[in-house]
Amino acid sequence: MALPAQILAVTTANVRSIPRRLGNSLVIVVGVAGVVAVLILVLTMFVGFRTTIEGDGRPDRAIILPRGATTEYEGSLSRETAAAVMNAPGIKHDGRGRPIVSAEVILVAPVARKADNSDVNVTLRGVGGQYFVMRPELKLVSGRMFHPGNQELLAGTSASAEFAGLDIGKQVRLQDGDWTVVGTFAGGNGARESELVADALTVMSAYKLDAFNTMGVMLESPATIASIKEALAGDPTLQVDVRAEPEYLATASDGVNRMLRLVAYAIGSIMALGALFAALNSMSSAVVARTVEIATLRAIGFSPSAVAVSVLIEALLLALLGAVVGVAVAYAAFNGATISTLGGAVWDSQLVYSLTITRSVTVTAVLLACALGLLGGAFPAIRAARSNVADALHES
Amino acid sequence: MRFFPLLWAGLWRRPTRSVLTGLSIAVAFLLLGLLEGVNAGFSKAIAEAHRDLLVTRTRVRGGAPMPISALATIQSIPGVREVTQRAYLMGAYGDPLLKNMVAAIATDPAVFFQLRPGLTVTKQSLRAMRENRSGMLATPALLQQFGWRVGDAVTLRSQILKTDGSRDWTFNIVGTFDSVKNPANAYFGIINYSYLDEYRVEDRGTAEAFYERIADPTKAVTTAAAIDQIFANSSHETRTQSDQERAEFQAKQLGNVQFFTNAIMGAVLFTLAFLTGNTLRQSIHERIPEFAVLKAVGYSDARVLGLAYAEALLLYMPAAAVGLMLAYLAAPLAKEDIGSIVVSPAVAMSGLACAALLALVGTALPALSLSRMAIVDALRRR
Repeated sequence: MALPAQILAVTTANVRSIPRRLGNSLVIVVGVAGVVAVLILVLTMFVGFRTTIEGDGRPDRAIILPRGATTEYEGSLSRETAAAVMNAPGIKHDGRGRPIVSAEVILVAPVARKADNSDVNVTLRGVGGQYFVMRPELKLVSGRMFHPGNQELLAGTSASAEFAGLDIGKQVRLQDGDWTVVGTFAGGNGARESELVADALTVMSAYKLDAFNTMGVMLESPATIASIKEALAGDPTLQVDVRAEPEYLATASDGVNRMLRLVAYAIGSIMALGALFAALNSMSSAVVARTVEIATLRAIGFSPSAVAVSVLIEALLLALLGAVVGVAVAYAAFNGATISTLGGAVWDSQLVYSLTITRSVTVTAVLLACALGLLGGAFPAIRAARSNVADALHES
Repeated sequence: MRFFPLLWAGLWRRPTRSVLTGLSIAVAFLLLGLLEGVNAGFSKAIAEAHRDLLVTRTRVRGGAPMPISALATIQSIPGVREVTQRAYLMGAYGDPLLKNMVAAIATDPAVFFQLRPGLTVTKQSLRAMRENRSGMLATPALLQQFGWRVGDAVTLRSQILKTDGSRDWTFNIVGTFDSVKNPANAYFGIINYSYLDEYRVEDRGTAEAFYERIADPTKAVTTAAAIDQIFANSSHETRTQSDQERAEFQAKQLGNVQFFTNAIMGAVLFTLAFLTGNTLRQSIHERIPEFAVLKAVGYSDARVLGLAYAEALLLYMPAAAVGLMLAYLAAPLAKEDIGSIVVSPAVAMSGLACAALLALVGTALPALSLSRMAIVDALRRR
């Protein structure tokens, strides 16, 4: 028989005998399923957080912060600075010739998380009149815009779903009395949906603030960031840093990102190691249990490599079955669940994001499962191929 | 003890299997130890926080600061022992264009350090602060960061305007203090509130927070409510929390962490129970005739079961201990990115108890079928 035919024959025989040694074979399936499900969970948390934060970045938007500030909330930009930025070159103008700029103040509002009624903070962003022009991905989904001068605000849809008291018509207690939620908005990759938005000047007068914290500008094109940088650097009274939005978002989320990445890879690799030992164990037992069978096959002319490859294929098939189970468990258990955690625009404000299992995460987990199956099958396969036919038969 | 050679021989009957099973157990307990350590880290922070220490802040952050006159009002509330105020000064040292911000807490140092048991300070430093109004205490880490020494005068450029029209605040470093828990990582200074308040133009006579110590920790909630009552319906409503409440609050801010650590631990335990249970089943199954011999020579079912369990323990416990030890060694590595993972004796004990339970569950099922088997049938099996 040719090698492929031999492999096929031995593999078929192996697979057919699986029901008789079910417990042992299930070890690989369950072990791999556990690794795959957990790996998908931790990777989805990591990837979900990153895409939620960084996905909104557009190279033709820039964030302007006071010199040295690394986050949107920590520094202040005077009204004069804001005016100078608005007149800088390279900024896109709307149909009526006004620069598309939003000078913003960043505060937090205390709210209660619906799930456990715990007190947490959400970001309250006081924005300029061009905010929704500058962020066309955000759309009002219900209610109406706030009227500047009135103590009114809009809630992002994630915030209003996750936290109590953020439905239209409800009042939020902030500085200077109660503020009414008049609408909800959604859009983009979701980071902004965790925020409350109100008119910047109204917020500043209520909080007796005299400065903005951050500014966002729409550029004529990604390339014109150079001219705005140059113009602002030329004026020594303006101490500001201009950064393209994607660059800013990548640095702003770096801390939590690093933590989640470390957690994902640490847990994933530890579990993979454990499952590898289990797979090795299981396939070795399978080979040991079939010592006589394998020797008989070899005695009647099956080549060692056919035997070895068939062991590998069996391990791979079991691992794949485990991967399927693991993916199914992961989808059933948490796909679409939302997480509310630290990671908003302010250091202690909440970011709400949903766990959406992506294809690339699934593919990564399945590839790892295959690797586990192959590695777990490799040594037992070699052992099976090398076993001494006469000794093995004699043993019986 | 005289059964030890028997157990040992049983373990090494199939060395590959025992070693691989041991390795899986060790790896699983490494992970379990770390995850349980994360949970324990949170609980520890909450448990260690003082219930008799309160902090009052404005309810709406970024809102108007509280008038300093509230200090006397709070002091007069029954049950309040000590009160001190806090304000902040942020300033850049040296070239203001670089990122070298220094944060300083402006307070009454003598009272402040009594109310912050997490910070240590010497009597000399406190005396120096009393004698030198423009003094500053700095942590060793801060001194090292800027190459400062005690005795230096340092100038910070702040956003806070001084009465003389400048924004340059000069302080004399008169001593040091440090964080008990996190010695090398505290980067801030302590200055005299009276000095800051006398020379600042805006927000004069206000504080950003008050620290209190109360006589009876069980009255934390009612005292906090009494303090918040003072400011109710003012432009600066407050929220007073005990340190313990704040620690819980911070843990909750992190989100459903415990849910996820528990979910992962559950998955790991289930998988582990299945994998090791299978190994035990095989191992006992293969030796049914041996156990039957023991029974034939008069060993009771319980004794045979005990032997099987002891053998499982001999495999599980050292492996679990190795895993937990690895977790203990690995925990500090994650400190910078994740925070404190506490692989405490309690975590280790619960881990070992878990291993013993897994061994029991894994042994029970096959051993039960063994005890039901007639000796003659068992002896005949191959």
